[in-house]
Amino acid sequence: MTTTALSQSAGPAPDGARQSGPRRRARRSGRHDALPLLLPALLPIAIFSVFPLLQGIYLGFTDSRAGLNQVTHFNGLDNYRQLADNQLFWSSFKIGLIWAFSVTIIQFVAGLGLALLLNLDLRLRWFARSLALVPWAMPPVVVAIMWRLLLNPNSGPINTLARDLGFSGNFNLLGDFSTALPAVIVVGVWAGMPQTTITLLAGLQAVDGALYEAAQVDGAGALRRLWYVTLPSLRPVIAAITALDFIWNFNSFGLVYVLTNGGPGGKTMLPMLFAYNEAFRYGHFGYAAAMGNVAVIIVIGLLFFYLRSRLKESR
Amino acid sequence: MKTRYAVGTAVLVAGLALSGCASSTQSDNGGDGGDSSGPVTLTFQSLAFQAPTIAATKKIVAEWNASHPDVHVQYVQGSWDSVQDQLVTQFQGGTAPDIIQYESAAMTAFADQGYLADLTPYLSDDVKSAVSPGVWKTVTVDDKIIAAPTLLQSYLVFANTDKLKAAGIPVPTGASWSWDDFQAAAKATTTGATYGVGWGLSSPTASMVSMGMNFGATFFEGTGSAATISIGEPELALPEMIHAMAYDDKSIDPVSLSQSGGDVLPAFVHGKYAMTVQGSYAAQSILDTAPADFHWAVLPPLAADSASQSANPQTLSVAAESANVKEAAEFINFAMEPKNLAAVAEGDWLIPASSTAAAAVESDTGGANGWHQVLASGSDLTEAPYQSVAAYPQWKDQIATPAFQQYFGNKISLDELKSKLTEGWSQVSGG
Amino acid sequence: MSSVTARPAARAAQYVALGGYLVFLGFPLVWLLSTALKGTRELGSIAPSLIPKHPTLGNFSSAVDQANLLQAGRNSLTVAAATTVLVVVLALPAAYALARFKTWLRPVTLSWILVGQVFPVILVVIPLFLILKQFQLVDSLTGLTIVYVVYTLPFALWMLQGYVQGVPRDLEEAGAIDGASRLRILVSIVLPLLRPGVVAAALFTFISAWNEFFFALVLIQDPTKVTLSLTLSRFVGAEGQVQLGALAAGSLLATIPSLVFFMIIQRRLTSGLLSGAVKG
Repeated sequence: MTTTALSQSAGPAPDGARQSGPRRRARRSGRHDALPLLLPALLPIAIFSVFPLLQGIYLGFTDSRAGLNQVTHFNGLDNYRQLADNQLFWSSFKIGLIWAFSVTIIQFVAGLGLALLLNLDLRLRWFARSLALVPWAMPPVVVAIMWRLLLNPNSGPINTLARDLGFSGNFNLLGDFSTALPAVIVVGVWAGMPQTTITLLAGLQAVDGALYEAAQVDGAGALRRLWYVTLPSLRPVIAAITALDFIWNFNSFGLVYVLTNGGPGGKTMLPMLFAYNEAFRYGHFGYAAAMGNVAVIIVIGLLFFYLRSRLKESR
Repeated sequence: MKTRYAVGTAVLVAGLALSGCASSTQSDNGGDGGDSSGPVTLTFQSLAFQAPTIAATKKIVAEWNASHPDVHVQYVQGSWDSVQDQLVTQFQGGTAPDIIQYESAAMTAFADQGYLADLTPYLSDDVKSAVSPGVWKTVTVDDKIIAAPTLLQSYLVFANTDKLKAAGIPVPTGASWSWDDFQAAAKATTTGATYGVGWGLSSPTASMVSMGMNFGATFFEGTGSAATISIGEPELALPEMIHAMAYDDKSIDPVSLSQSGGDVLPAFVHGKYAMTVQGSYAAQSILDTAPADFHWAVLPPLAADSASQSANPQTLSVAAESANVKEAAEFINFAMEPKNLAAVAEGDWLIPASSTAAAAVESDTGGANGWHQVLASGSDLTEAPYQSVAAYPQWKDQIATPAFQQYFGNKISLDELKSKLTEGWSQVSGG
Repeated sequence: MSSVTARPAARAAQYVALGGYLVFLGFPLVWLLSTALKGTRELGSIAPSLIPKHPTLGNFSSAVDQANLLQAGRNSLTVAAATTVLVVVLALPAAYALARFKTWLRPVTLSWILVGQVFPVILVVIPLFLILKQFQLVDSLTGLTIVYVVYTLPFALWMLQGYVQGVPRDLEEAGAIDGASRLRILVSIVLPLLRPGVVAAALFTFISAWNEFFFALVLIQDPTKVTLSLTLSRFVGAEGQVQLGALAAGSLLATIPSLVFFMIIQRRLTSGLLSGAVKG
């Protein structure tokens, strides 16, 4: 399902050259020609990407840990039994879900709003479009540093603004228990705006203009047009980008690592930060991989139900 | 063209086969090729971060290299923030530096994993006799000395003396200063926009287990993996007092509690706080950044039942996989010489673990700029129970730090703090 | 394409909304620039202003001195450039094969791009670390380059094969009738037509490698081999007094190359191209 949606939204459309020529003409020759061309690219992927991944999944069923001359043993489901009792992990998992859902949903709503505006004939449209893409070109580490400056309790403008509005005292938005996660979510939305906005914009531009005209003839207002024409036409694009955003957000690491490193008091400890610490601070490699496996299974489960329901709707 | 593909494929297939053996995490020695004849190169990862300390450390390395043509030491810059993850990775990857700077509380875990060389046969008698037995205990694992203790940190009160005077409080002198007087002074200096105290406690656990000793806190009983937690009145006395100062007296800025010590310093030197509790090394930053008209002093060590704080020395260790353990240990002996250790200590405002080096610092500085108080606080530093507890680092990160942060953020009660600290222990000690 | 004309009130609301977006997206960038230009004294003040009262470039030089920026910048550049070249060299023939030949590898490649997203890097990184260790490639820029190549290749491949499909087959066949060799056809006819695609894939790869953080964090420990993201992330937590100005200046410097490339890519790319790509 993602496949169809993706190829619609992400398929490159190099200037005009695309449509010419019948697409499925009989292929001239078979794999004997294809393989030598493909191998140099695919072999490294197999060795440094597919193979480690398979091994990583296996690692989740072992007691691999740091230590000189440690021998690793297969230990079946031991890690998972231990994980089931690990409240810290589950609370981190819950934070991960809150983070991923919030960022994805806000990103979607904000991205759709911006995409709709960019699809109109407004002045400054080119400027807004470039600006909307800038976060993508910035290293996540830099995005995190930038927001740390903005939210700095002593010299950050957000604090000054709050004081000007009559709130007293200082706010350490990233350091306070109740505001840290919301603050980090806002940064996540900022950093993830580009891909969402641009995908939705591409989807919007592909909506058949005749549909709008028909709707207008029927006397539909802007909101009704959005609801009855735009959103249904965008359905596959929306399903694809929200699903991808969710995965990316759930697996995100660098941004929050630099923003808060999981603090204060573990309030922003995303699952990947938690697993990273388990592996690279405490040296429990097998256990950390098991956390990764659990995350994958739950994310795939959520996606399955989400995409299935989306698909049903669109039928 | 075909042959090129064939060669490329063969190389990659060989790689695949090789990496098939990678599933066991054992390290078969990356092979530094250390044969004992000919010049040897040792890497030394230093965590020095203040300019004078970096300079002093580099000077020691340069002097060593000048006098030891056959053993070359290479200075590598590390950082306190990332050293834990870095060492886990480096030990695992067989790329650890030969000479490693860190702290005893963390090094014992690496020693348990077999990554550290036993220095007992290599350390010189001068080094062994200059450091007190209590401090040696903090770096001894299974009767093996796994590190040389270099510098010790104590927590001290830094005061803006103008603010104290304005509140009519004489700058305290004497061997120690009671927590009650500290609390009263904080209250008296809290006026308008000024808080009595700014205390960067974003990483609270080290301060609590160390300064808690003032109130008789031990936190743990037993050692190694048999250790058990014990949280009672002595352990909770200090957190309770800080909480009361922040939320009842309102003499500690609660925002500062969520910041790091370094974040609080600029506000202190710009007059926002009358006092701040910091590691002794903050003196260097104050000297560097305070405006010219800023008057400050280091106050005597805080005390309740005692002025004891835990000794968690910085350390120098040698990687077990180093090809030149003996030479590396000799460099450590060299770095521990009074003159050298004193130079590093002066840069960081830390207390030398070696008594001969401490004497050198006292005579170099004449006790000025608070040095006298800093050095005096060294005698209060003793071994603490937590240092021999295997799961302490994980308890600290995952349980104690969040729990203290929540308590200092006024999110949970003292009872909840107690139960979190206690129950959390079973989470980490089981794994 | 909305051919519907809006009423003035609606139009005004649209501009207000757009203005809101511009502030949200743009203000953080402006503040970063402003902080980078402020002196220590001004940064310490309780009421910061947006426009520096005494702009200074001092932060840039202290960032370069203290955060090891020059060396890190060289490392980042080396790794990102090497990754880009390798990816293009490896992806071009493979993309051609994927687009022109019927092979089971086609659906497999696409599935891998999608499936690869779901698995968190933590699963990959531990075995990857051990594999690189066997090759003595831990703590090495070569090792990091290999990792980046492998993780940006699938998407570059997919992007390029889309462009290859856009090249009319008739052109190649016409060349074949003229008796030109296969290689010649590819180099003289197909390749020039693929140029926009190659540029797009190359820039995409460069930016991904330039911005990457996680693999660098785990694989690089030697301070002489750190990348910009890595050195900046360590500068953030530096002990003692946090130097906000230098931090901002360093961040700004680290962003410039990818921003410049981005400006190029942005003009070249049709918007659809970016959509699936950006985090890949």
